[in-house]
This record gives sequence, C-alpha cells and structure tokens, in this order.
Amino acid sequence: MADIEQLAESVDSLKASFEAHRYICSNQIATAVYLAFHLRKPVLIEGPPGVGKTELAKTTAEMFALPLIRLQCYEGLDEAKAIYEWKYGKQLLYTQVLKETLDEVLQGAQGFAESVTRLHEFGDIFFSEEFLEPRPLLKALREEDGCVLLLDEVDKSDHEFESLLLEILSDFQVSIPEIGTVKAHREPPIVFLTSNNTREISDALKRRCLHLYIPFPDADLEQRIIHARVPDIPPELRRQLVTFIQELRDLDLKKVPAISETIDWARTLLLLHTESLDPELVRDTLNVILKFQEDIENVDAEIATLTNKAVRADGVGP
Amino acid sequence: MDRTLTHFIAALRNAEVRISPAETLDAMNAVELVGYRDRAFLKDSLALVLPKTADEKETFDTTFDQFFSFEEVAGQTVAVDGDGDGEDGEGGGEGQGQGEGLGGGKGSGGKGKKSKYGAVEEEEEEDLGPGAMAEPRSALARLLMQEGTTELTVRMAEAAEEADLTQIQVFTQKGLYTRKIMDAMGLADLVREIGELRASPHIPERRLAQELKRRRDWLRERVRDYVERQFLLHADATGRRLREDLLQKVKLSNVEHRNFRLIQEIVFRMAKKLVALHSRRRKVFKRGQLHVSRTLRHNMSYDGSIFDLHWKSVKVDRPKVFAICDVSGSVAAYARFMLMFLYSLDEVMPKVRSFAFSSDLAEVTDLFERNRIEDAIAKTLRDYSGGSTDYGQAFQDFRKLCLDEVDNRTTIIILGDARNNYGDPRTEILKEMYDRSKRVIWLNPESRNTWNVGDAEMRKYSAYVHQAEECNSLMHLNRIVGNLLRTVA
Repeated sequence: MADIEQLAESVDSLKASFEAHRYICSNQIATAVYLAFHLRKPVLIEGPPGVGKTELAKTTAEMFALPLIRLQCYEGLDEAKAIYEWKYGKQLLYTQVLKETLDEVLQGAQGFAESVTRLHEFGDIFFSEEFLEPRPLLKALREEDGCVLLLDEVDKSDHEFESLLLEILSDFQVSIPEIGTVKAHREPPIVFLTSNNTREISDALKRRCLHLYIPFPDADLEQRIIHARVPDIPPELRRQLVTFIQELRDLDLKKVPAISETIDWARTLLLLHTESLDPELVRDTLNVILKFQEDIENVDAEIATLTNKAVRADGVGP
Repeated sequence: MDRTLTHFIAALRNAEVRISPAETLDAMNAVELVGYRDRAFLKDSLALVLPKTADEKETFDTTFDQFFSFEEVAGQTVAVDGDGDGEDGEGGGEGQGQGEGLGGGKGSGGKGKKSKYGAVEEEEEEDLGPGAMAEPRSALARLLMQEGTTELTVRMAEAAEEADLTQIQVFTQKGLYTRKIMDAMGLADLVREIGELRASPHIPERRLAQELKRRRDWLRERVRDYVERQFLLHADATGRRLREDLLQKVKLSNVEHRNFRLIQEIVFRMAKKLVALHSRRRKVFKRGQLHVSRTLRHNMSYDGSIFDLHWKSVKVDRPKVFAICDVSGSVAAYARFMLMFLYSLDEVMPKVRSFAFSSDLAEVTDLFERNRIEDAIAKTLRDYSGGSTDYGQAFQDFRKLCLDEVDNRTTIIILGDARNNYGDPRTEILKEMYDRSKRVIWLNPESRNTWNVGDAEMRKYSAYVHQAEECNSLMHLNRIVGNLLRTVA
C-alpha cells in the first residue's frame, strides 16, 4: 500500500509513473486519477472511441500493482451477472442429500413444531456465503488490498442496471437480501466507468462520479504517445503521420481515426519499412485508419494534398 | 475561501451548468486537497468534479477563466497604479493595459479616446512636468491618492451595496450602475475639487488636478469592470430568462432577426427536454407468454418445481417520426422555425425522417445530418421553397417515397397552412397515411378562424388527421410536442 500512496502523492509523480508504463497522459487525466484516489470517488470517462479510456484503467491497475476486475456492460446485463448469483446446482445437490438424510435429522423430534425448528437450521445454510457465486462487482468489494474495477461501456447497459450501480458507487457496498450488506474491505476499489456516449448517462450516476472527458490529443501529445507505443519508428515519419492524422480529423468523416488507429498505422508503416509518407503508400494503407468505405472514398481525392502538407510541415518543423 | 467557491458555483449555475449540493461538497473536498495556489491544477480538478458533459466543460472553461481572471487583473492594477505614482510620466508606456494614458502630458495620443467618458475633458492638458503636488481634500480624492487599493476596493464594494448592484438585470443597466456607484463613492465632490484645482494659479494644485483626473478615469474603469463582473454573475441569466420568456409568447413570424440565435437555443433545449422526458425505453410484459428458459433457471432452487413464473417482455422502442414541412412562400415566416424545430428534433431523436416541399417533396434527413443548422435550413429553403404550394403533389411524392415504411408505431407530423392554390387536395392519400400510421398530427401556423378561408383545405384534411393544432409560437410548439410525445412514447 505504501507504494501506491507514494505514487499518488502528486499529479506529477502520477504522470511520470504513467509514462513509465507507456501511457502518455495529459495533466487532466493524471489529475483525475489523483482525485479518484484521494477523494475515493469513481471516475466516469467519456470521449470518442479509441482515445485510451479502457487503457487508462488497465494502466492504473498495472501501475498500482492491483488486480484489474473488468465488467463489460451490454444490453440485458443484470445483477445475476454483475453482482452475485446463488449456486443453484450446489443448492440442488445439497437438497437431495438433505432429503435422504431427512429421517436421521428428524429422528427423535418431538412433534411437528420441533421438526420445523430443526429444518429451519438448514434453511439458512442454503443461502449463506458458501452458496454465493460472486460476480465482478462483489469480487471487487471483497478484494483484500483493493483493486481497480473497470465497468466498460456503461452506456450499453440498461437504465435499470445503472440504478443498480448507484449503491456500489457511492458507498462501496452491495445489499444482498438473504445475507445483508457487503461492504468493501479496508481499501475500496478504484472504479473506472467508460462510456462512448451512445446514450446519455443518468444524472444520478454522473453525480456520484468524477467526470473525465478525454478528447483527441494534440499533435505534440500524440507524437509522444506514438513514441511510447511504437518506439522503433523514425522520428520524421512519426511527425509526418501525426500531422496527417491531425489533418484528417478536421475532415468531415463518419468515423474519425483515433489514437489506436494512429498506433496501428505506425506499426503498419514500420512493418513496410517506410521512410517517408507518399501518396501511393497512404492510399494503400488507408484502410488501417479509416473504417468506412465511404470515408476512404471521400479522403481519396485529398490524399495528395494532405500528404504533401504533412511532409512539408515536417521540413519546416524542428 | 469557501465563499469564493460558492460564488463560483453560483456563477456556473447562472451559466446553466447544473450542479447539485452533493457536487458542491465534492468540489469543496477537492479544493481542500488541491488548494488555490496552482491555478491550472485547480481548474483541472474542478473540471472533473463540477461539469458533467462535454458542453458543460466548455461553459466551465470560459466561466472559470472569467471568474478567476478578475483577481489577477486586480493584482495588475495595483502594480500599474504603483507605476503611475512615480513622479515622472514614464508610467504611460507601461499602463497600456488599463488604457488610461498614465503618462500625464505625454498622454495626448490617448486623449481622443478618453474624452468619450470624461465630459470635463474640454481643455488641452498643459505640460506641468514632475514636481510636488498639493494635498487632496475630498474623501474620494484622498482615497485615490493613497498607495495601494485595498481601501478603495472596500469603499467600492460598499458603494455597490448601496446601489443594490445585485439587482442588476439587463446589460443596458451597466452604465447606470457604474454611475450610481461612482456617485455613492463621492464623485460629485471629486469633480468639484478637480474643477477648483484646475482654476488655481498654483502649479502643484494644477498638477494634482491632472493626477486626480487620471486616477478618476482609472477608477471609473475599475468600477465598470466590477459592475461587468457582477452583471455576469447575477444578471446575465436572469435577463436572459426574461427575454426567453417573452420570446416564447411572441408569434414566430414577428421575431426579429437578431433573436434567431436565442430562439434556436430555446428550440433546441425544448426538443432535448421533451425527448429526454419521453424517450426512455420501456419494458412491457406480455402476460400470457411464458419465458421458459428464464423460468426454469429461476426455479432451479426450488427443486425444479415451477412456481415462480417469468413472462416474456418486449422493449418498446422510441417513437418513429416522419415530419413533413411546407416551405413555400405562404408560410415563409414560419418555415424557418419549423425547420429549426425539425432539425433540433432530429439531433436529439434517433428516428426522425424529415421532408420538405412546396410542390415536390424531398427527404432532407440526410441534409440535416450533414450540415450545421444554419446551412441546413438555408439549403432546404433554397432548394425546396421555389414552387407554388401543391399539397396533392407532395402527398403523392410521399406515398411514392416512403409510405411503405409507415407502420403502426409511426407518427406523422405535417407542418403547413393547407393552402393548396385551389388544386386537388388528394385527401385519399392523406387517408392512406392516416390508416397506416399510429398518428397524424397537423400543425397549422395560421389561427383557427382562418383555417378554411380562401384556398385553405383544412376542413377536408382535418377529417384524416388525429389531431390538428394551431401552432405559431414556441409555447404552442412546446405544448403540442409535449402531448405528442406523451401519447406516442
């Protein structure tokens, strides 16, 4: 625990540590993790797809050396899959066993009332921790030394599930009717929620979270990210491709290339032993960064201009 | 210190960032952790705690800069003032931030500008050079000649209180309140003193007069800033709300051009609110249809005896809306707003298809999706508003284009005045639409008593719509759409 305290001592130390784990982040992002840790609040991360929302949670877990518990949200997700479920099979099996030994148990019982009392003792056993199958949320609460809990794509889940999350997000506890309230151990989990904004998250949920919006990075930051993720790529090419991508984001596209696409492209170009961008090459590899045929067709006409721009900017740049 | 924060939050709320008390507490905790020392850090931290959407973040950014920049400007002002205190006129060059031409006699360049606030400024300044100055007499003059601005600021705040500055409502009152505060601070005495000093034969007194005048202008600027800030904090939203309320009631055809932007915002917010209210998907349980697998799963714990039943359910989707908008000359004044509303609805509701026509009908959904609102509206009006109105033709086109896609969950909204130039109204197509859809709603911008006058075919058409409403102000629109979504969703 001491390491974590030390790491999270200041925003700068967090930032440096993120960089050591090859996650280049802005001040805003580091501040979010800093506040999340010190204020014990979940962080709701929004932003366009592919800017590193999920990656942030993963890297935080890695950095703090905590286990990462991940729950992928989807439509129809309910408490049985997210919080806990009873081990029905086991319960069934034990019922059978009980049935066979029922005579023994009830032997010598004086009258009906006593029999029922004896049976009652079993009833509670069936709904005890023994028969409880913990799902991600409950697991996260029970981690001894804390953990990082990632609720990925919360916006894909139903409204009902969102309400289900409120208790765990504000008090780090869940209520199980048969057992009672399960509270987090000494260290509550560090919770990240990500959303792609396919629908508006409810105010109640937002109120309980810190809200971090990760936009597309500026050229400088993106270059550093590429440098960290694809260290082998020559610096000129790196500058060129970042300039190209940044220009591309200004165009009217159906799906704008994100950082993950930039990284993929950098890897592709590295694999092709590219020294410098040229229109032909860009045209051939465009499908790495653009995921819609419509977009590819739209950009096709602009390739020469954009490439020239990127290459020329490189010449002038430092 | 917490007062600063609560003031800041009040300002944010005025700027329409919704902040709950719980979030205020969070912000206080965050500030306690972070402190006020590092501005960027503070901003980053508060940006995580207070605003919760991308839009709100933007508002937060500007509000934060506005709110916390004042402190800095005040700091600078003290420094500049210190410069001016140097007996020589050198301060002039550096004082440009305040625009006050501190350079005494040298400041003649800046004077043309100055004279718009100072009516006293009729004479040329004489170059008196550096030297001793006489003692100021009036209370305000003494405050002005003091080193440091703390007392002056305190006096200003008091004067603002006397003038009830927090009651400021619209921006045109800014001048009035500036004047009131200056008066309360003793401007009259100061002006008299300056007048007397100027008339004096002694150079130190005339020198003092110049210095006082300079500082008086500087003070006026500060008061103006102060009023500006208070206005932004207290009044901006109130004044706006006032105007918005008025606009809601005004007939759309009478709205002046300069208010379009505001209307646009109102319309957008309205559409968003309505959709948020009604777009929740609901589960409807079909009683009678057993969800077999689910029931079995849930009854396992009862040794397989099935007594806890689970039913199949369906999710009710958001309503599907087809909107048809008349953009011909007769409704030109309204078409813009109808399109605006259509556009906003399109932005907040996933399943709206929009059509525009004057004689031929065409789908504009795509156009709306690809363009910003101004462009979209301008393009629609340019492309489709040319011809003379022909509802018959438009309905025919609609039938050809997409009547097949109209099903019993669809709502069709028709925006138009039903003035058909005595052409064939083709009511049979409207009947077909009426039969197929869940609901047909006709919104007519004309008032009810002219619905059947002249070439208007409203009587024929209203037989085949579920609802026909007069709609020519935002209030109407709001009410109708509210009802609409309630019954449809």
